[in-house]
Amino acid sequence: MDVLSVTRGPQVMIAYYVSDLITGLAAITATFLLAERFDGIGPWTRSEVLFLLGYALLVRALIDTLFNWNLAHISRRIGRGQLDHLLVQPQPLWMALLTEGFAPATGSGMLLPGLGLLIWSIHQLGLTLSAGWYALLVINLLASIATVLAFEYAWGSLAFWAPRASEEINSDTWRLLMQLAPFPLDGLSGLAVATLLTAVPIGLVAWYPSRALLGIGTASLPAEAYLLSAAIAFAAFAMWIFTRGLRRYCRTGSSRYLDYGHRR
Amino acid sequence: MRSARAVDLFRNLLRPRIRVVEALRGIDLTVRRGEVVAYAGPNGAGKSTTIKLLSGLLAPDVGCVRALGMDPVRDRVRYVGHIGVVFGQRTELWWDHPIAASFEWKRVVWGIPDARYERMLGLVRELLGLDDIFHTLARELSLGQRMRADLALALLHEPEILLLDEPTLGLDVLARRRILTFVKELNRERGVSVVVTSHDMAELEQLAGRIVLLHEGEIAFDGIFAELRRVLTGRRVLTLETSSGAPPVLRGAVLVRTDAGRHEYAFDAARVKLSDLLEQAAAVTDVLDVETHRAPIDEVVADLYEHWLRGSS
Repeated sequence: MDVLSVTRGPQVMIAYYVSDLITGLAAITATFLLAERFDGIGPWTRSEVLFLLGYALLVRALIDTLFNWNLAHISRRIGRGQLDHLLVQPQPLWMALLTEGFAPATGSGMLLPGLGLLIWSIHQLGLTLSAGWYALLVINLLASIATVLAFEYAWGSLAFWAPRASEEINSDTWRLLMQLAPFPLDGLSGLAVATLLTAVPIGLVAWYPSRALLGIGTASLPAEAYLLSAAIAFAAFAMWIFTRGLRRYCRTGSSRYLDYGHRR
Repeated sequence: MRSARAVDLFRNLLRPRIRVVEALRGIDLTVRRGEVVAYAGPNGAGKSTTIKLLSGLLAPDVGCVRALGMDPVRDRVRYVGHIGVVFGQRTELWWDHPIAASFEWKRVVWGIPDARYERMLGLVRELLGLDDIFHTLARELSLGQRMRADLALALLHEPEILLLDEPTLGLDVLARRRILTFVKELNRERGVSVVVTSHDMAELEQLAGRIVLLHEGEIAFDGIFAELRRVLTGRRVLTLETSSGAPPVLRGAVLVRTDAGRHEYAFDAARVKLSDLLEQAAAVTDVLDVETHRAPIDEVVADLYEHWLRGSS
């Protein structure tokens, strides 16, 4: 179905991908220009910054590809009473949440630029890559995606209790994570970095996993262990709060329904 | 009490007043297999809540809901494979896709076997007249076309129970007739049980043998339409055509409208005899023609709602 959307005609397809590309480039331009102007940011060389940008773009592109149709922005679906559409399907809710947002054609506009940036920076850095490194890359990407989604679902669940006030809360949490993700956090105070690696996990989206992959700062093993533990902890918390909200939803239902955005 | 006064705003902030509304109370309802039940009541009576309970979207605080031997909430995944739900104000269609794509999506997600899918697709395309719009984007459909497509989508997996929440809302006469005829045929030929809500009593009467009337979350009436008429009132309409333009005053009847010597009265047949009214009229004017009939069901029920409204205020 997703492929049907973009194959409606050549103009439609071009418009889709050009607009996606512009959005993606806009997201990383600030960091790129800073790195270019100062030949790197803090302890990060220009090529390492490019790697960070590529990684951040890839995380975003994968979420767009796998959790489209507001499944990453779940507060919209909850706030607009649209969970009903998922609940009348004969499949467990978790399965619907994991599959309905699959949009390989309309959501993957930034996948190739992200991948390209990553490959180019790896080439520039002259990294020797092993199978283990590739495995770590995949694990880190999965951990980053899980952390972002968990953050989104944890905050988005507020819409179960305050549907109108929280309907757009995921737009803000998404902006918070995605706009700051491509910036190196080195140089910030210890407290700030600790906060950005725990309560507000901006550092876990791209900065910390990129450091681990490039071998900057912390030794690789403890960094990987922390990344995975944090992703699991965030996911567990998000599941806990989402389940509580869902129970409430099943008891009281949604007091408002807006068709806006539903399957559009 | 909420008001714009600063003191009330602060009071509300510190100690908000929350009113808990019981949407349904003491509902005891059984629908037999193959039955069509009309579910009616004024706005806020609990009709949509009932449909949500029957769809597995809501769980009751107390009591239980069983359908097809299942608990709609606990057995949701298995249960929803046996029911079809249409909410008149919503659509299950994919907005930017042709209807055909939504149907194909349903086939995959519901895991409908090919043979059944083809059989039901042929049926709904023919009976709901979908051929002309089958490849049209959902967003380009008129309301009537969209409702037909939504109803068709709800039926593709051949449900045993069909739950329709105001399925003809905002439709023109032709679209309504098409949908009503189809639902009746579906019930007659396939024995599908139907629970349908609507504000249009004539439409419900055409569709269902049994009507359940809700009032403030409780069942106020459960029976056949004829019984409802009998229970509610013996209200009749009397139309007199007289030689003079002025309507005669009739004790026991209320003048509803008058136009060029044709006068329409409402009266309660249980209290006033028709012959008395005719005698009164004949005594004061020349009666050229007489017509009498039962009040339309819509008016009867509207009177009832008004009575409830006055009672609760």
